[in-house]
Formats: sequence, structure tokens, C-alpha cells
Amino acid sequence: MKRLNQLPTFRIQYGKELSVNFGQKRCRGLEGDTIASALYANDVRIFGRSLKYHRPRGLYSLDGECSNTMMAVDGIPNVRAENTPAVDGMNIKAQNVFGKTPDFDMMRFMDELSWAMPAGFYYQTLHKPSRIWPLAIKHIRKAAGLGILSPDFHMRGKFDESYISTDVCVIGGGPAGMCAALSAADQGLRVVLLENRPWLGGYFEYRPREYQKGVPLYQRARELAESVGHTPNIRTFKNTAMIGSYHNNLITAFQRGNKSDIFTERYLEIRAGSVVVATGCIERPLLFENNERPGVMQIGCAHRLARNWGLLPGKRAAFSVGHDLGLEAAIDLADLGLDIACVADIRQDSYDSNLAAELEKRNIPFLPGWVAIRAHGSKTVNAVTLSSINATRRRKLSCDTVVASAGMTPVTGPVILPGGKLTYDNHTGFFLPATIPPQMHVAGRLLGLDDPFAIETSGLLAGLKAAADCGKPVENNLKEMAKNQATLPGPTRGTKLVTGPVKGKETFICFDEDCTLKNINQAMHRGFDVPELIKRFTSAGTGPGQGGIPGHNLPMYVAETGESPDRNPKPTTVRPPLVPVYLATYAGSNHDMSKRTPMHDSQVKAGGKMERIGVWNRARRFSSDTSARKEIENVRNNVGLLDGSTLGKFRIFGSDALKALQRVYVSDMSKVAEGKVKYSAMCNEDGCLMDDGIVVKIDENDYYMTASTGRAGQTIEWIRYHTRYDGWNFHMVNLTDAYGVINMAGPNARKVLEKVTDADVSNEAFPFAGYREFLIQNMPVRAMRLGFVGELSYELHVLSSYMQSIWDLLEITGKEFGIQKFGLEAQNILRMEKGHVIIGSESEQRTTIHDLGLGFLWYRNKPEAKTVGAFALKDTEHQKGRLKLVGFKMKESGTRVPKDGSPLVDSRIRGYVCTARYSWALKEPIGMALVDDDLCGEGTTLNIYEDGCKGKLLSAKVVSMPFYDPDGKQMRC
Amino acid sequence: MAFTITCPVCGIRRGYEFRFGGEDKGPMPPEESLASETWCEYVHMNNCIAGIQKEWWFHRDGCGSWFTIYRDTTTNQQVENR
Amino acid sequence: MTINLERRSPVKLKGRPVKTGIREGRQIVSGYAGAGKGLHIVDLSHFSRWDIQDKRLSRIQPYGDMIPEKPGQIFMDKHLLMGRLNATQAVAWHFSELKPDMPQTQAFTDITDAAVALALTGPAVYDMAEKVCALDLADPLKTPPFLVQGPFSHVPCHLWVLDRTDSGGCLALTCSRGYAHDMVNSILEAGAEYNVTPEGEDIFRAWLGWGG
Repeated sequence: MKRLNQLPTFRIQYGKELSVNFGQKRCRGLEGDTIASALYANDVRIFGRSLKYHRPRGLYSLDGECSNTMMAVDGIPNVRAENTPAVDGMNIKAQNVFGKTPDFDMMRFMDELSWAMPAGFYYQTLHKPSRIWPLAIKHIRKAAGLGILSPDFHMRGKFDESYISTDVCVIGGGPAGMCAALSAADQGLRVVLLENRPWLGGYFEYRPREYQKGVPLYQRARELAESVGHTPNIRTFKNTAMIGSYHNNLITAFQRGNKSDIFTERYLEIRAGSVVVATGCIERPLLFENNERPGVMQIGCAHRLARNWGLLPGKRAAFSVGHDLGLEAAIDLADLGLDIACVADIRQDSYDSNLAAELEKRNIPFLPGWVAIRAHGSKTVNAVTLSSINATRRRKLSCDTVVASAGMTPVTGPVILPGGKLTYDNHTGFFLPATIPPQMHVAGRLLGLDDPFAIETSGLLAGLKAAADCGKPVENNLKEMAKNQATLPGPTRGTKLVTGPVKGKETFICFDEDCTLKNINQAMHRGFDVPELIKRFTSAGTGPGQGGIPGHNLPMYVAETGESPDRNPKPTTVRPPLVPVYLATYAGSNHDMSKRTPMHDSQVKAGGKMERIGVWNRARRFSSDTSARKEIENVRNNVGLLDGSTLGKFRIFGSDALKALQRVYVSDMSKVAEGKVKYSAMCNEDGCLMDDGIVVKIDENDYYMTASTGRAGQTIEWIRYHTRYDGWNFHMVNLTDAYGVINMAGPNARKVLEKVTDADVSNEAFPFAGYREFLIQNMPVRAMRLGFVGELSYELHVLSSYMQSIWDLLEITGKEFGIQKFGLEAQNILRMEKGHVIIGSESEQRTTIHDLGLGFLWYRNKPEAKTVGAFALKDTEHQKGRLKLVGFKMKESGTRVPKDGSPLVDSRIRGYVCTARYSWALKEPIGMALVDDDLCGEGTTLNIYEDGCKGKLLSAKVVSMPFYDPDGKQMRC
Repeated sequence: MAFTITCPVCGIRRGYEFRFGGEDKGPMPPEESLASETWCEYVHMNNCIAGIQKEWWFHRDGCGSWFTIYRDTTTNQQVENR
Repeated sequence: MTINLERRSPVKLKGRPVKTGIREGRQIVSGYAGAGKGLHIVDLSHFSRWDIQDKRLSRIQPYGDMIPEKPGQIFMDKHLLMGRLNATQAVAWHFSELKPDMPQTQAFTDITDAAVALALTGPAVYDMAEKVCALDLADPLKTPPFLVQGPFSHVPCHLWVLDRTDSGGCLALTCSRGYAHDMVNSILEAGAEYNVTPEGEDIFRAWLGWGG
């Protein structure tokens, strides 16, 4: 197809050629083409097949408002061909086509079956008998649906994001939007301007109509765009579709990347002081039979095809329109060489008579009060039947293009989403914002304005109002601008016609969902009378284009056709995302931030199998042996090193520090003695275990405390929360990351420590539960003797920057004593042999310290401290019917280890296995379980039900804990 | 996502930065002579006002303060002190 | 048994150091080869940082006068930054090569090792920041230096907006040390379009006019 000669409105560049592959066909295009324009230039008219009926579909709006032109591009389904630039070498496929090209679709017979699929078809049929349902699903899934995504599809590209703070955000880069941006920027404010198309200008951008003497509209658009470009405090985002608008002026948008951009798509989240909505209008689809047959297109589509891309939409076109833009387009297209069969206008009189005269001058038949009622042609249009609106006369004309448009529909999504309300306006025939959210203003064509000066002035006014929101003193400018506005033409009277005299069987109100007027009638016949419910029942407007196509027509049709005419029609709702988006863009770039200990690299190097535990990466074990047997036995026999740096560590000091400790710890914290560690627990109000750790008194009113790894992030928050009414004088410093923690455990631990420090670390000088500070070489170390794994062990807290060096020193020194690293799995089994609990493994939300056998930690005689959980601990101390922690062994030797989390059952569920492992020390499986309190007596049988056990229960019996070294001799020696 | 909270130390911030701390119920009643029902009322029961309520928030990603705001639960917007 | 007890930074930048030295057991890089003209990322983790907390901060000697009154304010002197966090808390950050002795009063805690500290200097600093941080660091109503406590790449940070020009500036940030690896990666990824490269501490001093 030959393109037009160079026009000043072109967006293509002659001489810069490219080609794309459409199925087997190679299509030549030019730099600046969209996929849609490139295919159209190569005579592609059918872009895909529709969802249900497999009807041929083609270009309609050029702004991607429906699924007609959604295509699979380089393996990505549902790419909007009208909004996506053509790139050399692209592979493009039509969707929902059974056959080689969309021109011959083997499923096209579906269209003949439409009688069998009334509205609500799926809800009403195919469920009786239920056995046909799986079969039906299979075939419906195959026949219907847009786009196919292969399960192993990998989305290529870079998906970026940006969080923008600005004073004013203007949505829409047409003349009103540009004027708003310029007037707000003129007040020295930061302005963000969003435009969906690749260029600014809106309805001005392609029209040759005169703006003022000697200046066509397209030139005016370019002048404004240039001013915007030269204003440094305006940031313009083109190719950027607004997808969400929320209260407090939060706007989200997706920016499609250009060749020069580093991103494929970028998610923008804009927080503005004020928002100007200048989104303008889209065209309102005209409803007639076969109104979506390829060849039927809207005014802007036909006009812009020629003006932006040099493509005449066809050879001979019939127009059926309801807006002066249609007359204007017919005149311009006629001048560009299109044969115009006629221009039918819904309006009897309110058209621009100058335009009518221009049509006459060109011998184009002008038919006011006429409307298209049927397009003919099986694949593409070959004729159209027009009718007078009163249905008295008809005329059939042959043509290959029908330019059809009932009028304008304002794009109000950005106003509605954050809570604006629409009401029907009789003058414009628009649903207009009656209430607008605070700090939001509307401008331009969306108000029903047509006059170029009125549009620009409304933009300038909105920009000033936004500036006022941002605290700029613009009262006088506002008054003046409002005065200007008053002298200019107001909103134009709009057309009201929803549908001509048609039956509606093939009149599509929603293209995406293949929903016809007949379907709407069926729904109404069933008693539906609210558009919002009809939308759901018929699925009209629930497709990827959201309400773009049916948004206005559906409620108006319902209002007109209902039992009694509704003079207050209600529009249906819209929701973000307002346009189809990539999920990959939502996912964005790397958000998964995790922490590493100072030992991370060397642990990985040593073969550590790293695992995410909360925010941290930790080594689970250092070999492929999942039982970690060697690590465990080495701790029991020699000495092991564990990286415990993830432990929460805090300093708490100040004159009321002790009061704060008494509030959150269940024990009597006044008993914390210097040189000793105090182990205690924190409970919630219900007495349930939240955290455990040790507290050390460093100085008067100065304490050092630890929290479990999982809780460290909330410790300060917790303590401050529970003291929020008290106004106490205490301070906290989070030292979690300041200190690394080395847990050196095993019978040889002391021998290693003695070699690296001059301090006396004998059992007498540094006994169990002791706290000491000493130097390793010249480095200060905080050391405590604890027994989590049940052996002689030292917990060394060392500054993070020294951690690796000290660890290396211990490893070198300990070589002769068999020192080896151990990981979390080894620690897990070692501590279990001692019956020590891990919060979250052996406890859950409802587990009190009594249930865990830790009731001894609770000091009941400090009511003045208002200890968190104390009241509940008193209340639940002897409460019946609670789950209690018990140890168990398997009844019969040789039974395997049950899985963690398996329920314990008799006639009902009686508890569950917390942790169970094979104990290398005891040479048999051991475990801990939370069980109903009547089952916790020693020797009681526990029946374990495992996932997939098919009724074969494992049998265990309750035993006393600890399993290993019950007297605790090992850790005290 | 759009919800903002004014932190007394850091100013207006995105709601994501904060953790909710429940309705403002005043300090815990004294432990002695506290009936189980009163305790339960205080700890577990809420007023669930449809309208403006005073509540606690924690600036987790910022300054680490606990503070109270008034929020209209029907619009999810922070409002001025009544 | 003794070995050289080396101190390590949590930050590992890929680049060829050209100017290095040892300070208090730490290897310090003052300059990298091939640092471009674009955005620079600098490791500041070795400079001493102290947490100062007291009911009445103004009475803390010898720093009382230097502690700014309002949260978010920064006192800036040669080789010292003092930022106010809230009513009872401030941070002191020392950039002198000789580490000063921390006053032995209860109000002070040495938190140098608790955090990773990074500086971003050069053009497009705040454009890059916008990609990982929803806070308005380029707010024209706020004049640098100022301190913001908030999330940067999802991690709670202290953000020291030290300098801002039309094209760029100097932003220092600290967050929990454990995040060092992921934070650096996140900055390098977001900064790729601004040609971010590692630089030594000299460029940071130079930016603030602190010379060598």
C-alpha cells in the first residue's frame, strides 16, 4: 500500500526502513511505525479473532482501547499493536486463531453458534450433569481466551521503577495538559506531565484546522510541546500510561521504554501536591450491526492513520458520526485523496455549518439525522446500510471503510479511582465529575470543551489552581484566568443517541468480551436493571480495555431501554490498572533485601549451604549430608564453631532502664548481677512466649541484652510499645549488626580459648552462666558461658569488623583440638537433645511459658512492674485443656523419624510433632511435640499421622526431657 | 499504598513505613484486683469505630517512635485532632 | 598464637584500588583506577560513628552546642557531621583520619560497626535515589545539609543529604551492616544508567571541601 506524500504531521521517517514478520508474511515498515501501522501499510486488515465467536477484528481506535489488536509479539501475548513501536525483526502473531492466518480461522463457525451462548451462558449451563464440566472446561479453554503463555516462558527485558515526588502531576499531554503544566511550572513548581502517546499534543497534534490565522492546530501543538520541553521544571513522561490514581494524590503509571531507554518498561509512582486531570475524551463507539467488522473504525483512527502514518484507511469510506471532528476528518481525508461515499451525522442541526459547507464544496453527500445500522462483508467491510434515525428510509452504499463514532466520552478514570463521583450531564451527554477529590482539578476536552482557546484556558486555570494547592499566592491570576474563561465558548452540546434502529444480535457493545446488545437485552429480561450488575452478568467491560468501549454505552443503553427511562443513569466502575500492563513491570527490579553476617563469604567458601532465615542468610550445614552427623558428633566429642551473629543484641540504659526490663521480661530483672547472665523470656499479654534471651548488667542502669534472631527486628518496637504511656527515661541502641557472635562449643572449647587469651577462663574464674569481658590479642570480647547445645560453650561477642579475623584465629588455634564449623541443622539437633526450645518451632501463638515448662522463669511478685503477660500467666498457670510440650521416642526400635508438623491423633487431632530427628548421641529418633495436656504423662502413647501415610500411623511414647545429659554436667564442667 | 501518616518527628510519610499499634485504650489497668473479664476487655476487645478513632502507630522504617494519630476509618485518611 | 587481626569493611567494591592505606587495622581505599565521570559510590564504613542519647542532649559535653535542635538538622564542621534524630537522640560521625576518643559517659555508644556507610557523589545522585527511594530527597523547600530517616531500597536508613546542585550532589547513607551486600548491589543496579563506579574516600572529602 502506497503511503501519502510527506506531511508536516508525520511520525514516520521515509528512508528509514524496517521489517517485521507477521506469521509467514514479511511486512515492511518505516521508523516511527507502530506494529499496527506497519501491518496496515502491508494490507493487513484482520489483526486477530475475537474471544468467543472468533469474529475477525481489526484497527478501531489506534490507542489500544480494546483487545482487537492485541497480538503475540516475540512470544509475549496480548501486546497492544496500536501502542507498541514496530522494531526491526519483530515476530508478530495474531491471537485466538486456529489456522495459519487470521483471515482463515477454523473456529469461525463459532459465530454461527452465538444463539447457543446467551448472556450468563457459563453460569447457567455446563454444570448439569457435573461430569461434563471437566470436558467442557478443556474445550472452552482451547477455543476461547486471548493469548497463550507458555508455562516456561521467560520474560526478557529490564523492568525498572521510579518513585517521583513532585508538586503538580498533570495527566494527559494534550493542549489542556500542556497549558496546565506550563502555568504551574511558571509558578516555580516541580511539574510532572504524563502522556500515553509517544508525543504531546492530543487532539491538536494531527489536525490541520486553523488555530488562529495562519497557524494550524498541529503547529500550535508543536509550539506548546516545545515550550514544555524548554521548561526545566517540567518532567515529561511520554509513552506513559496512567494506570492508577489513589487518594493523597498518588498516581501510578507505566512508561514504555524507547530504544534509548535502559528499561523495557518502568513503573512510576508519583506523589504530588496537586493533580490536574487533562485526559480528554475518547470516541464513543457507534452501535450498529457488525460494528466491529474490520474496516469499521473511529474518526481519530482514520484521521491519524493518514496524518501520522501516511496511510489512507481505505479506498472509499462512509462516515457515520456525531461530532464535528468527524466532518473535519472527512474533509481532510477527502483532500488527501480518500473517496468519501457520504457523511451521515446523528445530529439534525447542531453541527458546524461551515464544515457542512466545506463538504458540499467537495461534493460529499451530507446526511444529517442519518446513522449506520449495518456493515456488510464477511471478513472486511464491503458495504454499509444507513438509515434515517426514525427508521423510515434506508440506503446501502458500497465502501471498504466505515468511519463510525457516536460522539465523545470523557476519560474520567483518574477522578473516579480516588473517590470522585460522576453524574450524568444533560448538556454534554457526558458522565462528568460532580465531586472531585481534594487537590485534584480537571481541564480540557474532558469537560466537553471543543474550542481550542477554551481548552487551553481551562488548562492554564487548572495549573493555577494546582499552584494554589501547593501554597503559591496566585489569587489574582486565578481571578483573571477565570474571567478569560468566561468569555470563551463553554462545553458543546453532545449527542445522546446510543443506538440506531437495530436488532442488536451482531451489535457489539463490548469487543473484548464479545458481548452484544442482544446479550444486554437478555440480562435485562432476566431482571437485571443495574449497569454494574449487568456488566458482571454479561462480562461487558471486564476485558483488557476495561470500560473504554462499553463504558458510556452500557449504562445509557440500560437507562434508555429499561422498564421506565432512568433520568439519572449510573456509570459502571473502573479499577486500576486502567490499561493492560505487564506483571513483570509490577514485579520491578530486585526488592529482596537480605542480611549477611560478617562470616558470610568464608562460610560459603567452606561449603556452607546457605538458607534464608527471616532477613538473614545462614549456613544450614557444611556438607551434603542432611543429617549433619559429623558436625554434631564433633561438637559432642571435640569442639565446634557456630556463627551466631544474627542474634539480636541491644544496649539499654538510663535511669528507668530496669523498669523497662521489668515490664517486658517475666523474671525479676532486679536480680541481674554483674558478671552473670540472666536468662529470661518475654511474653505477650496472653502470657505466650514471644522471645527469650539473656540480660547482662554492664554498669549501673546500663544493660546488654540479646533477642532471638527472628525477633531482633521488633525488640525496640516491643519495649517502646509496652512503655508508651510511662514517659520513662531509658534509651536503647540496636547493636545486632555491631557485634558478630561466635558460639564455640564442645569439651575442648576451653583449651582453645585458653590459647588465645591471657584471661583466666578456668571453670572457677569463669563458671557456667558467667559473663566476662577480656581481650583476644588486643581486641575486646564480651564472653558468656551458655549451654544451648548442652556442652561446655562460650558465646563470644566481637566487633563485626574483627569477626572474621577472630574466627580465623580460633580455627587455626583449635586445629589440634579438632575444631570444626557447625551449622544450624547441627545446632537444631544438639539443642533438641537438651530439650531446649526454639520459638516458632516448639511454640506457636497460643503457647505460654507454662506450656513449655518454662514457668519457673516467671516471677509473680512484681505487680507494680505491670509485666506484660503476668496477668495471663497467673490465669493460665493451672488451666486445663492446653497444649503442652513433651519429649517423645518411638515405641518400637527401628521406626523411622516422623516428619515435622505431623498431627497426633486418636479419634481426633490431639497435637502435633514440633521437631523430630535422629539423635546420634542416643542412637534413636527423638522428638518434641505439643500435645493435649491429658496426654503429657510419661509413657503415654502418641499416634502420629503423616501426610500420605494411608492410615498407617507411627507410634511414639512420651518420655522425660532432656534426652541428653539430664543433669547438665557437660555444660557446667 | 496511597495512605500517608504524619510522624511527629519525620513529617508526612507513606503508610508502608509504619506499623499499626491498635486503638488507643490508655494504660493497662493495675494488675492487683483486676478481674479476668476486665483484663480481657482491655487486651482483646476493640471499639472498631466507623469514623474517627485515635490509634497508635510506630514509625518502623524511620525514627522508631510510637505516637497516636486520628484516622477516619471510613476513608482511611488521617484527620486533624478532633 | 597470634595472627594479624585485620578489620574488614562489609563493603566489597569491584574496582582496582590505586591509593590505599592501613588505618587501625583496616585497609582503606582513597582512590580507584578507572573511576568514571559519572556517579560514584564510596565506602565510608570505617569512619567512627557514635550514638548519643540523653533526656537533655544539650547538656552532653563536649558536643552539646554542636547537636542541632530539631530532628533532621545536621551540624557540619570540618571532619564532623552531627545529625539530630529525635528529641533524645543524635549521631556523631567523624571523618578525621585520627580516630577521636569517645567520651566515657553513658550517653555515648560506639556504633561504627553497626552500620554500613556509603556515599553517593556526582551527577544524577538524586535521580538515581528516586529509583530506590520514595522519599523526596530533592525537595527544593529543604536546604542541605539535612538528615532523613526512612527506607532506601526497602531498608531503613539514615540519609544524609549533604549537598545538592542542579545536576547532582552528595548523599551519604547508613543502614544495618548486614545489608551491605544487597544495598551496594541495589545501588549499582539502579545507578547503571548513570554509570556508577566505585571511588575512594578522597572524592567524598573533596566534595565537602574537606581536602586531604
